[in-house]
Amino acid sequence: MSPQLTLQTPLQLPPSEIPTYLDQLWSHDERGSKGANTFCLIIWQPAWIEQKLVKTGKISGPIVGNQRIDLIEAARKIVLEGDLPNCTSPFDFRVQSSIQSKDLIQNVEDLRGQHIDTSISNLQPRRLITIAPTIEKENSLETLVAAYCPLPEEGGGKTTCGDVVVLRGNKTAINDGLEIVETLVPDELPSWLWWNGRIDEAPEFLDTLALPNRRLIIDTALGEPKDCLNLLFQRIKSGQAVNDLNWLRLRGWRETLAMVFDPLQRRNALDNLEKIDIDIEGNQSVQGLFLAAWLADRLNWRLNSCISSEKEHIEVDFIRPDKKLVTVCLTSLPIGKPSINPGQIVGLRLIAKDKSKPKNDICVILASESGECMRLEAGGMARMELIEQVVPIQKSSLENDVARLLSSSRGNTSPLLASATPIAKEILNLVNQYI
Amino acid sequence: MSMTVTNPLRVGLRQERVVPPQCLVIFGASGDLTHRKLVPALFELFKQRRLPSEFAILGCARRPWTDEIFKTKMEEGLSSQIKESPKEWELFSQNLFYEPVDLQQPDHLVKLGERLEIIDKSRATHGNRTFYLSVSPKFYGSGCRALAAAGLLKDPKRSRVVIEKPFGRDFNSAQSLNSLVQGCAQESQIFRIDHYLGKETVQNILVLRFANTIFEPIWNRNYISSVQITSSETVGVEDRAGYYESSGALRDMVQNHLTQMLALTAMEPPGHFDPEAIRNEKAKVLQAAKLANEEKPWECCVRGQYSKGGSKDDPLLGYREEPGVNSNSTTETYVAMKLFIDNWRWQGVPFYVRTGKRLPKRLSEVVLTFREAPVHLFDAAGGCPTSNQLILRIQPNEGAEFSFEVKSPGSGMRSRPVNMEFSYDESFGEPSDEGYVRLLADAMLGDPTLFTRSDEVEAAWRLYTPLLEIIEDSPWELPVYQYESRTWGPTESDLLIGKDQLLWRRP
Repeated sequence: MSPQLTLQTPLQLPPSEIPTYLDQLWSHDERGSKGANTFCLIIWQPAWIEQKLVKTGKISGPIVGNQRIDLIEAARKIVLEGDLPNCTSPFDFRVQSSIQSKDLIQNVEDLRGQHIDTSISNLQPRRLITIAPTIEKENSLETLVAAYCPLPEEGGGKTTCGDVVVLRGNKTAINDGLEIVETLVPDELPSWLWWNGRIDEAPEFLDTLALPNRRLIIDTALGEPKDCLNLLFQRIKSGQAVNDLNWLRLRGWRETLAMVFDPLQRRNALDNLEKIDIDIEGNQSVQGLFLAAWLADRLNWRLNSCISSEKEHIEVDFIRPDKKLVTVCLTSLPIGKPSINPGQIVGLRLIAKDKSKPKNDICVILASESGECMRLEAGGMARMELIEQVVPIQKSSLENDVARLLSSSRGNTSPLLASATPIAKEILNLVNQYI
Repeated sequence: MSMTVTNPLRVGLRQERVVPPQCLVIFGASGDLTHRKLVPALFELFKQRRLPSEFAILGCARRPWTDEIFKTKMEEGLSSQIKESPKEWELFSQNLFYEPVDLQQPDHLVKLGERLEIIDKSRATHGNRTFYLSVSPKFYGSGCRALAAAGLLKDPKRSRVVIEKPFGRDFNSAQSLNSLVQGCAQESQIFRIDHYLGKETVQNILVLRFANTIFEPIWNRNYISSVQITSSETVGVEDRAGYYESSGALRDMVQNHLTQMLALTAMEPPGHFDPEAIRNEKAKVLQAAKLANEEKPWECCVRGQYSKGGSKDDPLLGYREEPGVNSNSTTETYVAMKLFIDNWRWQGVPFYVRTGKRLPKRLSEVVLTFREAPVHLFDAAGGCPTSNQLILRIQPNEGAEFSFEVKSPGSGMRSRPVNMEFSYDESFGEPSDEGYVRLLADAMLGDPTLFTRSDEVEAAWRLYTPLLEIIEDSPWELPVYQYESRTWGPTESDLLIGKDQLLWRRP
């Protein structure tokens, strides 16, 4: 499905005139409609890598802010050509610094905020407010506004219109313009903030935009694990509704693992787990920590100690309800062509041993590809019942994931995420203390 | 260490849609259905965190109750569920309100509108309202008219009406009711509920057929020789004699629940999973369905009525002895019939449908019997090889079963049937929700996929019109045969299927 564009050319207006313009836009509607009765979505949309790649001529414009194939391929090329490890994700912040940018092409069309992915426009947002910081230092604030009507592909005439507002400029200019954002958020509708960038890249803007009553969408795969978990922990603790795309991407692993233990005869093995190995791509450990924390929470394990902590490998142990120990190892693997999301899990092994009935010992291996299955098979698994599954790699785009959150969760923090976050944070603290 | 009963890794994994801000208005809130089904389903949705904080339930009935009395009544009705989750009930019950309303009194509707405005403000429900008519069917039409006259249905995006079964008594009354209701609201606002469609296993018929490539190529007249759809109950008429006497098994079960199972089993694949696409296909297949002999309907239908039975220790009354039942009643408590579907896929394949009260087991199932192998190469242990059967178990022990022939152990080459089983409980480690949980959530989400559309209802009534006409005009042509309680219906029903050299499946 192709993205939706605004039907009219966006109008550039001074920030102060935008609220009045939008009020008039809707009150002039013949049927007295005030637009879709849905939600308002504020998007922090820096698209730093895309901006640099387009403005250095490495890919063609316009800048749209979506994850498109040519952008991903160009970013991968930068990883290979630059001095970056092969396992660097194409959207890693180091990719951006590696793009040589002496002479930037001027007058590149920038359609951020006007190029709405169909998965989101299908939800008929009442208002999309895009904050689009530019890489140029001298750009002053531009504010654009347009009405839009998503065109339903199947017909059906359910179209309800909304509007888009774009704030574009360098960080200083954006800072000056932020004060109008709150006046543009309709009081009567739920509002969301999608922070589509590194969690630690502009904390002052994040604080200003992520008001306590606003539903927050972040991606803890983007940023330093410690900063990501701290922010997530603080926001959940404060009662804010937080949705994490990195947690959402974990669902295939959680679902497959739950499926392995659905048959009643395997249920006992959950009480006898002794060793968990989690393999991740690169060094962003949050998703791996989430998986360990989710297991610990669901199975009532208590964090005990850190056994070892190296750059590529951490090992901690937990105490099971029967006072026995479970060891959890998190290993970073140098994957040749990593996923676009840093720190994705690529393999998981669980070993359960029943001392009283050794024939009940089982080894569960879940992997994103069969090669990883073979890697995890090493180490005398043949004596145990071996259960192997290849977890399908998600084909879902970033925008689809966001749309899924917007349409399904109504902003509530997932109780499982709320329970896993403090444990993940605690593991990381323990590991950092060990160093 | 004791066995872990539920799978702890399964908890919270379901990806459920959350109801938008909403006020659910239940008319007939003092009735049984509200505390037996509706409020428990809503409480379950609340516990599953699928209700937003901007939510309210407004009970309405003629009784002069207050909010507090309504809460207390619901507390009494749900005492066992509350005992398990007292804290959740404490929070949930804050969403319960009550307004005395007689739908026939226009000034009551005005007051109701005012109350809803207040709730909209205090609970931030954004004017989204679902009106649930849990009232006597004779008030469906006037109830809708009253709501429309009070302006409560004027916004098709924010208001909808849920109507319980039965929707009409025959084709003509269903058509009149449809036109009356459609005069008050758009079709997209009308949700005709059939709680069978809320069952996980009924919905699974669609997934089994259209998510697997192995079934669809053989799901037709070339491979399937017959289909049996059964819904049996062990209970008698209980305290529903007043309603049942005027309805009978045909109206109570066949026209709605069994016909919906038939439609899902026989429909063509929709182009996409879209409410209208699915309902179009269901309507089409029902329009193609007909009694096996429309000229002589009595030859393809058997009616029965349970007589006394049981044991010395546990004697069971016959239907005519039940309280509230006419001692000469000719209302059927059992019905079996043979249908055909006039289309390319099903031409010539008989569909046998049966339902009854006071049968030996409580169950609902769809059984597809496949054609025999063209050549019998092996001796069968049972004398002749058994046809392959796919059994979709709707209730109880929800799941599916496939029976096929394998080699019997030993030196010879004898075949015998074995079963391959799938059970929802065993495979998913958590029980399925009650039908009302799913359907109430869908209605509030505005998703009509599992609700019957006007043309489906009319097609279903039209299908049974020849039988209903005989029952009305010349009932002697379709006599009611007696059968002993806790047996599988009258002998005549065995003869009906026996004419085709078949037997009813004895589950």
